[in-house]
Amino acid sequence: MEYLAHVLVMVCLYGILATSFNLLIGFGGIFALAHATFYASGAYAAGILATKLGIGFPFTMLAGIVVTAAIGLLVAFPAMRVGSHYLVVITLALQAITIDVLMNSKPVTGGPDGIGGIPPVSLFGTALNNPVAFLPLAAVMAALCCAVAWRLGASPFGRSLRAMRENEAAALAVGKNLVRMKLVVFALSAGLASVAGSLVAHYIAFVNPESFTIEETILILAMVILGGMGNLWGSLAGAAILVLLPEGLKFVHVPGDIADMVRQVIYGVVLIVILRLRPEGLFPETVFRPPTGAVLPTVPANGPASTLVRAEGTPGEVVVSAKALAKNFGGIKAVKDLTIDLRRGQIVGLIGPNGAGKTTAFNLLSGFLRPTSGTILYRGRDLTVLKPHEVVAAGLARSFQDLKLFTKLSVAENILVSLPKQPGDRLFDVYLRPGRVRWAERENLARALEIASFVGLLAKADEVAANLSYAEEKLLVIARLLATGADVLLLDEPLSGLDTGTVERICGVLRDLARANKAICIIEHNLEVIRGVCDEIVFIDEGRVLTKGPPETLMRDRELAERYFG
Amino acid sequence: MDLLIQLTLNGLFNGAHFALLAMGFALIFGTTGVVHFAYGPVYAVGAYVVWALVALAGLPFWVAVGLGVAATAALGVASYLFIYRPFEIGGSPPFVVLVASLGLFIVIKNLIGIVFGTDVKTVDVAYDVHFVGNAFFTTVQVGQVLAALLVGGGIALFLRTSRYGKAIRAMADNREMATVIGIDTTRLSILVFALGSAVSAVAGALVLLRDGLNPNMGFGAVFVAFVAVIVGGVGSLRGAVVAGFLLAFVQSLGMWQIPTEWQNTIVFVVLFGFLLARPSGIVRRA
Repeated sequence: MEYLAHVLVMVCLYGILATSFNLLIGFGGIFALAHATFYASGAYAAGILATKLGIGFPFTMLAGIVVTAAIGLLVAFPAMRVGSHYLVVITLALQAITIDVLMNSKPVTGGPDGIGGIPPVSLFGTALNNPVAFLPLAAVMAALCCAVAWRLGASPFGRSLRAMRENEAAALAVGKNLVRMKLVVFALSAGLASVAGSLVAHYIAFVNPESFTIEETILILAMVILGGMGNLWGSLAGAAILVLLPEGLKFVHVPGDIADMVRQVIYGVVLIVILRLRPEGLFPETVFRPPTGAVLPTVPANGPASTLVRAEGTPGEVVVSAKALAKNFGGIKAVKDLTIDLRRGQIVGLIGPNGAGKTTAFNLLSGFLRPTSGTILYRGRDLTVLKPHEVVAAGLARSFQDLKLFTKLSVAENILVSLPKQPGDRLFDVYLRPGRVRWAERENLARALEIASFVGLLAKADEVAANLSYAEEKLLVIARLLATGADVLLLDEPLSGLDTGTVERICGVLRDLARANKAICIIEHNLEVIRGVCDEIVFIDEGRVLTKGPPETLMRDRELAERYFG
Repeated sequence: MDLLIQLTLNGLFNGAHFALLAMGFALIFGTTGVVHFAYGPVYAVGAYVVWALVALAGLPFWVAVGLGVAATAALGVASYLFIYRPFEIGGSPPFVVLVASLGLFIVIKNLIGIVFGTDVKTVDVAYDVHFVGNAFFTTVQVGQVLAALLVGGGIALFLRTSRYGKAIRAMADNREMATVIGIDTTRLSILVFALGSAVSAVAGALVLLRDGLNPNMGFGAVFVAFVAVIVGGVGSLRGAVVAGFLLAFVQSLGMWQIPTEWQNTIVFVVLFGFLLARPSGIVRRA
């Protein structure tokens, strides 16, 4: 009985660790390998506070959460500056330092010997000093932690996380503040892991550095991968399996220290085998599709242009005015002198040969690149030094030539995630004002479906973006752009590679947008199309504006014809 | 002053050790793109093989080193062929290969512990101690520097002049293009895994003489090698070597003021500073 209870307690603790790790790597796509550090921080916080200061259980845990969340924030900062391999090295380094600190800060951490004699949790006057007594507490805490993780995963914030995982640039371009999101998910994931730490400290009554090495992180990682990335239930299952699997060793007579190593070998082998046979894990990623069924009947198919929110201001008024933009990459001047005005209700075509600096111009205007010199004004407000998500919030959004859809999200989710100012993107509202989040989510879903209807994707609302045809993908790009609520839209080759029918359809959409008083700029090569939709053409070559004017005038220009069309 | 000389010497000798480790890792990582975490335990296996051949089988040290290097190269190749390559063929994303390497890391590391035990292994090979004033160094440490010079020079020559070396550089630069012009990337991957692992075994054999072995030694090794490659600039062997020495000097001179146990922390500070100030590493790729 004691033995069974002990095993179940361990399942609960590792369940907490695996689900919290999954939030970070499965949902956020942030590959930080330092989970044992967060676990250690919770455990040592409990150990130190309980033995040195005589503080009791719930408070040791709360303090641990705060400290560990702070450490999580600390890790998140370098993590935001670097990706992929660098992040792995940085977090690995953190793992190494953790052991250094635990081993060397003897007066506080007890060094290699660790901290012993941590008093058990005492609830309602009973000391939970044996596995059977401890199990209910472990189970309740595990359930709580999983609920917290689940709530986040299922919330609009979770959707934004998954969008960020699918494509960071696109998440930025629809106005997500990736810095904030990464900080939040790091802190939360770390905080949850520390709960397991404080529990284990009070349960085993002893902590030492050996329990928190890189192997521990790999073990938790194995649990997440085994259960399936992005599936929280899977993480629980993974934790259960990997805790139970080596228990079989108990029935064979293996000396204690060797048994530990054999266990590690088993974990490693399981990890490799599962990656080979079923890299997606036992359970597929959880699908959090919004309940489109309830809203669909109320949305008219092929929604009229009247669903568009009309931008304020008088038609023809200059909204965006970029002056003398220049951008150098080392010695290369990608953009030398770009001056461009975008007006309400007008479509500007940005044309020029390959390498002329068209996409760089978009990157500058949308905040993805900071110009070396020059200014960008949006209705008199200086956007020049703003970050991409701030530019979107100000009212200017862009699309990408290579689309950058959130491929694993549905059409509805792609649009939904792009809607601005969602209460569900704020942690405070997610946990403390669920009603408000639910209400906003319903409104937003209706709005997202209206937009889907307007671009003609309503029938595909529940389809995963990866399954769309190329034409549908291009439509979804426009829908996502519309969803940001921006009134200045930059579209990078919205029409390339499409059949005439779809080109006509998208041209119609663009004209509708102009009629709704939005300022539009497109990069395009198809001159027929440009003649058809653009009010003005800006011709750039070698990073500067050569000439601009109405399509008819420019297309009669001799020199231009030679440089570009000839 | 004596202390300063001693610390500088330590930095030099340890730098040679780090440079060797970094070279091997850089060859593998730079060419194949595999984050070969198991590089650490594989290196440890090499050192343990040398130990076993000397201490158990009674072979002369140099013979043991030769066999140890061969065994390590074989283990490196095996980890590529049986672990990483199937993932490459299946088109797995890089992080899956990385996780697999973590799996391999704990498997090999713990197998070492099971087979050889967790106590520290040393061999009785006599070597001299030399003095510079009150500072001292040993023949083993001179051997580390010589090994780094010879191996480094050999690899540089190989990469620059031989057909295979040029092909490796082409592959490191652009794998897809290398395939297009008919370079057999599988064969080259096998070659760099053999070469990189062999280099690490040289470092391992010398560490056996200098400090002795324990099953945990692999983590520190792959950690330092990885950091040196990042600090040096991914894809640059020269950068990795320079960064290896840099890390050792910073670590060693750091001990002037900071207690020895904080070595990893010092490495981390260097890494951190570099990532913030110069994310592309010491040597920038053209």
